[in-house]
Amino acid sequence: MIVAKLTVSAAPHIHSGASTNRIMLDVILSLVPATVAAVVIFGTKSLVVILACVVTAVLAEFLFNLACGRKQTIGDLSAVVTGLLLALNLSTNVPAWQCVVGTAFAVVCVKCIFGGLGHNFANPAITGRVFMLVAFSAVAGGANPTIVELTASATPLELLAKGEEAAAAVPSVLDLFLGLHGGAIGETCILALVIGGIYLLLRKVIRWHIPVVFIATVFVLYLIFTGDVMMAVNQIFAGGLFLGAIFMATDYVTSPINTRGRVVFALGCGAITFIIRYFCAYPEGVSFSILIMNILTPYIEKWTAKEPLGGVK
Amino acid sequence: MNFRKNISTLKVHHNKHTAGVGSVRIAPPKEVLLPMTMHSGAPAVPVVAVGDYVRVGQLIAREGEGISCPVHATVSGTVTAIEDFQQTDGKSLPCIRIESDGKMEIDPGLKAPEVNSVDEFLAAAQASGVVGLGGAAFPVWKKLDAVRGNKIHTVLINGAECEPYITSDHRMMVEHSDLLAKGVEILRKWMGSERFVICIEDNKKDAIDLLGKVFADDDSVEIRVLPSIYPQGAKQVLLYNVTGQVVKGGQRLASLGVIIINVSTLSKLAYFMETGMPLVDRIVTVDGSAMKEPRNLVVPIGTPVDYIVEQAGGLKCEAGKVLIGGPMLGRAVSALNEPIQKATNAILVMTEKEAKTFEPSPCIRCGRCVANCPVSLNPAGLAKAMEQEDEDVRFAQLTAASVGQCIECACCSYVCPAHKPLMELNKQGKRFVKKYKAAQKNEGGK
Repeated sequence: MIVAKLTVSAAPHIHSGASTNRIMLDVILSLVPATVAAVVIFGTKSLVVILACVVTAVLAEFLFNLACGRKQTIGDLSAVVTGLLLALNLSTNVPAWQCVVGTAFAVVCVKCIFGGLGHNFANPAITGRVFMLVAFSAVAGGANPTIVELTASATPLELLAKGEEAAAAVPSVLDLFLGLHGGAIGETCILALVIGGIYLLLRKVIRWHIPVVFIATVFVLYLIFTGDVMMAVNQIFAGGLFLGAIFMATDYVTSPINTRGRVVFALGCGAITFIIRYFCAYPEGVSFSILIMNILTPYIEKWTAKEPLGGVK
Repeated sequence: MNFRKNISTLKVHHNKHTAGVGSVRIAPPKEVLLPMTMHSGAPAVPVVAVGDYVRVGQLIAREGEGISCPVHATVSGTVTAIEDFQQTDGKSLPCIRIESDGKMEIDPGLKAPEVNSVDEFLAAAQASGVVGLGGAAFPVWKKLDAVRGNKIHTVLINGAECEPYITSDHRMMVEHSDLLAKGVEILRKWMGSERFVICIEDNKKDAIDLLGKVFADDDSVEIRVLPSIYPQGAKQVLLYNVTGQVVKGGQRLASLGVIIINVSTLSKLAYFMETGMPLVDRIVTVDGSAMKEPRNLVVPIGTPVDYIVEQAGGLKCEAGKVLIGGPMLGRAVSALNEPIQKATNAILVMTEKEAKTFEPSPCIRCGRCVANCPVSLNPAGLAKAMEQEDEDVRFAQLTAASVGQCIECACCSYVCPAHKPLMELNKQGKRFVKKYKAAQKNEGGK
């Protein structure tokens, strides 16, 4: 028997078939319901935001790699994920040029210059959003759905923060769940976000710990401090909590690698979100909480590392 | 009841196509190549010369110093060379080459050993040439030697065979359950053990049923059915999943009063005790998508891979990769003249498509390796530590992350979406730590 060419490689010789590309594709697919909901609720103007962000993200990574003579990495689809997530975090009244600047910042300054995918210390989309918040002030509020008429132009969270009188104008729980209110285009429709989240869980791309613990922490803290179930429900349904908890806080690169660490991470996210919303003047808090916990991730991982089986200290 | 969480986590495709395929003895090979290093420890020392006529079962190399094991002729014929053979991985193995006369004449001097004491029992175990046949290749006498100084109350008989494709142990259990029963008797008599647990994964129903019947009247023997989850048969994993005990780093398993012995190893030992025939052949599973049909063959040790593949019915398409061993831990070879060794339980021939390798991409910290590590290591973290250029820092990080606890099961590499060779990096890490420590010691001595 003559065999011309045999491959020799290190064990194992079989593989689960998981790949970075497939994971990124799954994240994109899981965001399809939220993207569709954004277009339905906020009209074609949201398409401009989405296209501006996604195209900029891919182009920015492409040009950065080209300029630095690096291997082209846009094929791993992570730039698409960053662009799409950032777009879903913006409202329709953000002009396209701001989308382009914000996305370019997110991709180049947060991801690429640290060495690309896997090397960024903070979530690029979150950091991009915070950057835009600081640079251009409003990113989430101000825009209203095109399919329903609203009396107030403020987001539900802004209304809740203003006190009882304004809070009366907060949409019903059903409207909150369906996303028929002002806000960032991708954050309002809880239904679409939950569908995407379930898809990610079924595909085993994410595990339940971060989203569930994050959302539950916010809910429980509101319940304890206000004693008002409706308030707690409104707080988790309004604003960017579901989008952040399911899609942003679960970002592999910037959250702990171990389950215990992820629980601690999510508890921290929930607590900080609550503190910002309840005690501070700013009605949102999800972005900042994730950003802060991103920075603490290496420490959390260290503190929560499991003792190896049979390890001796 | 067993409420412990099973620490093996990986569900791999079993591909046990040969589970129901009875083992068949192959026609005698034209020649065999017997490495002196088919066991862990010191190489065996040849006691024959070129030109000598040898018969099956005849001693051709005695054990070396310390931990070692003798080697016996596996065919009858003439010793044609005592030479070095270079393996694919670059290792040079001292070997005895025997040209077979095709008669498979058995050494007339063979007779069952007379055993009247523990010392004689251990000497017989040493003379049997039997090593850990599940892959470890640790000389069986050295394992049993633990009885001096330890009370071995429990023997775990490992029939888990968690590696995909391989059914060598499975066939041994089904076809030679009598030998297993004798093996249990022998260990009971000379090791003084009171509890025997035969550990079998639940994908081997016939073996579970059969052994249940064989040991139906023996209260000291338990058949423990384990979920078929890789790496169920790994020492540390099996011990924990069956007894809940853990071997701490640097500790010997025997100090817990437990030994783990593979079903084929025990059966071959029992065969020697009964007949005096040392380890000269074994069941090898020959499978893989490029094989015409999957087979189980009884093969003289030292038979070259190409002859075994031919005897198994040959290939149906171009081979892309040939493995000695299973798909998780086996060794890819570049030449088919490599011989099978004592611990070789399978030959797999994969197609070119299956042989495709992937370029590693950056770690995205998905945590799959951490979630699937049976001993709770952080393989991604270890891989990162390996990137440290400063040797002191690398050493500190590797030891802090307990690289030495890695059981080299390959679960991490298997699940990694970035196709990082995580297990390989851990192996390199272990070697680095060893070298670093040795260098430190030398410096301290000066």
